[in-house]
Amino acid sequence: MHFAAVIEQLRKIAGHDAVLDGPEDLMLYEYDAGVRKCTPSAVVFPQCTEHVSQIMRLASSAGFPVVPRGAGTGLSGGAIAPEGGVVLAFARMHRVLKVDAENMRAMVQPGVVNQQLSDDVAHLGLYFAPDPSSQKACTIGGNVAENSGGPHTLMYGVTVNHVTGMTVVLPSGNVVHLGGKGSESSGYDLTGFFVGSEGTVGVVTEITVRLLRRPERIATLLGIFETIDDGAKTVSAITAAGITPAALEMLDGWTLRAVEEACHAGYPLDAGAVLLIELEGLTEQVEEQAEAVRAVCFAQRAREVRRAKDEAERALLWKGRKNAFAALGRLAPAYYSQDGVVPRTKIPAVLRFIEGVGKKYGLRIGNIFHAGDGNLHPLIMFDPRDPAQLELVQIASRDILQYCVAVGGSITGEHGVGLEKRDLMPLLFTDDDLDVMLSLRNAFNVAGVLNPGKLFPTMRMCRETTGPSSNPVLQAEGM
Amino acid sequence: MNATGATFDVLHELRAICGDENARERPVGGVYVSPATAEEVAAVLRLANERRLSVGCSGGSTEFNATKLHVDIVLHTNRLTEVEHYDHADLTVGIGAGTTIAQLNAMVGCDQLLFGGDPSLPERCTVGGLLATAAHGPMRHGFGGVRDYCIGVRFVTGDARRAKGGGRVVKNVAGYDLMKLLIGSYGTLAVITSASFKLFPAPRQTRTFLAEFATAKEALSFRDLLMRSPLSPMCLELVSPSARKIMRPEMEQDAWVMCVRAAGSDAVLARYRKELGSAVTRQLESDGEIKMWRAIGDFAVASALRHFHVNVRSSDVLSAVDTLNSIAGMAGIDLGVIGRVGIGHLLVAVLGATTEASAGIDALISVLHTRFTDIGIKVEGASNPWPIPPMNLGSMRAVKQALDPNNVLRGRQIS
Repeated sequence: MHFAAVIEQLRKIAGHDAVLDGPEDLMLYEYDAGVRKCTPSAVVFPQCTEHVSQIMRLASSAGFPVVPRGAGTGLSGGAIAPEGGVVLAFARMHRVLKVDAENMRAMVQPGVVNQQLSDDVAHLGLYFAPDPSSQKACTIGGNVAENSGGPHTLMYGVTVNHVTGMTVVLPSGNVVHLGGKGSESSGYDLTGFFVGSEGTVGVVTEITVRLLRRPERIATLLGIFETIDDGAKTVSAITAAGITPAALEMLDGWTLRAVEEACHAGYPLDAGAVLLIELEGLTEQVEEQAEAVRAVCFAQRAREVRRAKDEAERALLWKGRKNAFAALGRLAPAYYSQDGVVPRTKIPAVLRFIEGVGKKYGLRIGNIFHAGDGNLHPLIMFDPRDPAQLELVQIASRDILQYCVAVGGSITGEHGVGLEKRDLMPLLFTDDDLDVMLSLRNAFNVAGVLNPGKLFPTMRMCRETTGPSSNPVLQAEGM
Repeated sequence: MNATGATFDVLHELRAICGDENARERPVGGVYVSPATAEEVAAVLRLANERRLSVGCSGGSTEFNATKLHVDIVLHTNRLTEVEHYDHADLTVGIGAGTTIAQLNAMVGCDQLLFGGDPSLPERCTVGGLLATAAHGPMRHGFGGVRDYCIGVRFVTGDARRAKGGGRVVKNVAGYDLMKLLIGSYGTLAVITSASFKLFPAPRQTRTFLAEFATAKEALSFRDLLMRSPLSPMCLELVSPSARKIMRPEMEQDAWVMCVRAAGSDAVLARYRKELGSAVTRQLESDGEIKMWRAIGDFAVASALRHFHVNVRSSDVLSAVDTLNSIAGMAGIDLGVIGRVGIGHLLVAVLGATTEASAGIDALISVLHTRFTDIGIKVEGASNPWPIPPMNLGSMRAVKQALDPNNVLRGRQIS
């Protein structure tokens, strides 16, 4: 089918004004928050599950790739379409369909902004726990695709721990319903499997999420350290004291100065590192834990431990943390954010390693990360107009992630693999591991129509289309 | 060859893989093999694929008795007990599938850590069995299900590929979440050889508050008040009068009991006592508390009662209990019910002779299925754990075809 005919069909399905194909419009969809770019051939805005189903049927018959996209805040290139691809943008599927306060569930469309859901249910004393730093913009559909985390996932878990059901359109266009409102359903946990599958096995069009009740008391502490090593050691010391904070974030001295200058959050300009520690729960418990955390910080040579006096001070401290990535934009034209994970006891060593990598390649690297679960975000400053710098940055990133894997960690804790890290997958996974994952992808998406080129290493890509020709069961089931 | 028994040469080959003493004939037909490594598991499954033999996996036989497996090869995981990593300061552990939950608890308990799973019969229940059946006990309320704290899994697929998902760090989204797929799949997709878990700091002090009520409705109103309060207990369990009589035959008074287990300092526990109010009739600590929770955890399994699990929306629990009692009353059977009612879970045991119990269970499930939406039902000890075909059966079969194309793993049916 000629692509003009595809555009015409897409307009018939979603409406004339729901398809973009002008070059100036498409430019806005050629990138996400990472560093890769590719201009799609069209962007379509479905408004319901049926639209998505029809679009996937069209894509399967006409053979064009489809890439689902939420707000484009992803950091792994997951929402970037290949050449000739069509972006399935969920900006018009942005409604909270139902809130069931009694059962602490909400049913939402994938384009609902993460923060919006919490705002919508705040009057009920409820909220949605996963809180990526981009939560004012990122969508729940994107959170589901990437299994997103955030600072408070230390205590509450990542997105998959908060999704109980979903409606999914398979690449064939067939619609399946997984899970439900209950805590457990019969059969395989396909809900859990689809979360974090990076849009490679199906398109999520409705999501049932678990809501949590707001805690009675929140204490937010800022531990101030002379050296990054002292701050890093404090992380595992807090856990060793039997305390699981709701959030435990770390900023190194260089980063916190950049953030302070941009956000005026009240961070000390002369510190080597700070820990932002949040405790939540029953008043008695939080107060005891706050004292215990303070003691641990001082035992690890903290210079000072401050506690937010009220909600305004707490919000200010978090403003600094949540806007940190943006603040670094003042210091360099671009940054490359990595997402490695290490066991939390390895944090001091990995921070020293990152410092060495910066020196080795002459790169400035800032650290602001989810220290409590060992999820690092080294931010490597560079100028994207210089291809040599970008190449150097990618080499440095690979060195860092290799180190993370070598000490028992992972290449991604919450951003996903996408395009960015697909060729690093063999650091973690054997050929057999990847074969198993590929056979599962092919069980649903054998033709690679849905989000091709993501998650699997490039070398394996040739096998994406030469793998099992089709899943006979899916064919028999009419799927 | 079918599931009537393996031939002598198969036994010979299995002995070559696992050692003479680790493969033997089963009295009921077929063979029994006990591999010690993932490589040996893969070799057994390769053989099964080549000869088109059926394989069923067995751990501690707490959920399904291995003697009932109608397969050519019963693969026992009892020798898969290696500790792959134990990083107590990182609160993570990786351990062989054949390790029992009691062994795991003993190991991590030395470092004041807690494993989040508390299935029935922990001295027999294995890590692999816990994962394969998604089993849980009372701590499911406060610590989540095993899907929430399993961070990595190693396995051999039905078509004999050795693979893994996840890793050994608490946050990790690299690759597909294969843990979710295998947890609760009843060994129909792969043989789990080891798994990694996130651990929790062990509470330094706990106390259990018991509140007794004349009716389920009153008990569940108490649950609702608690769920709306700032309290977050580690266990919240409903025990029906009949279930209590099985656990404590000396109790004469009929009562629905809500059991609330809290952890924390004296001040925290005092706050629980204050918030729970006059409904609390007893408090338990130390040995008495441990014994009581053990009795709840082992209920039905220890008494060898036919039983099944029901998961409904929290708001449907009362209606589900009423429905169960009404149908049971008409059928002339007695039920014992316990459950993690804060998350909508009920464990329903049929008291009485086995034949009556089987018929009773079928009738109860059928009625529940027609009356409730968003319901999940699992029958323990049955060849097909999901008596109501899951609504996503087509996708399940596609996954089964991807990992076990020759349908070698036939210990349990998937409808």
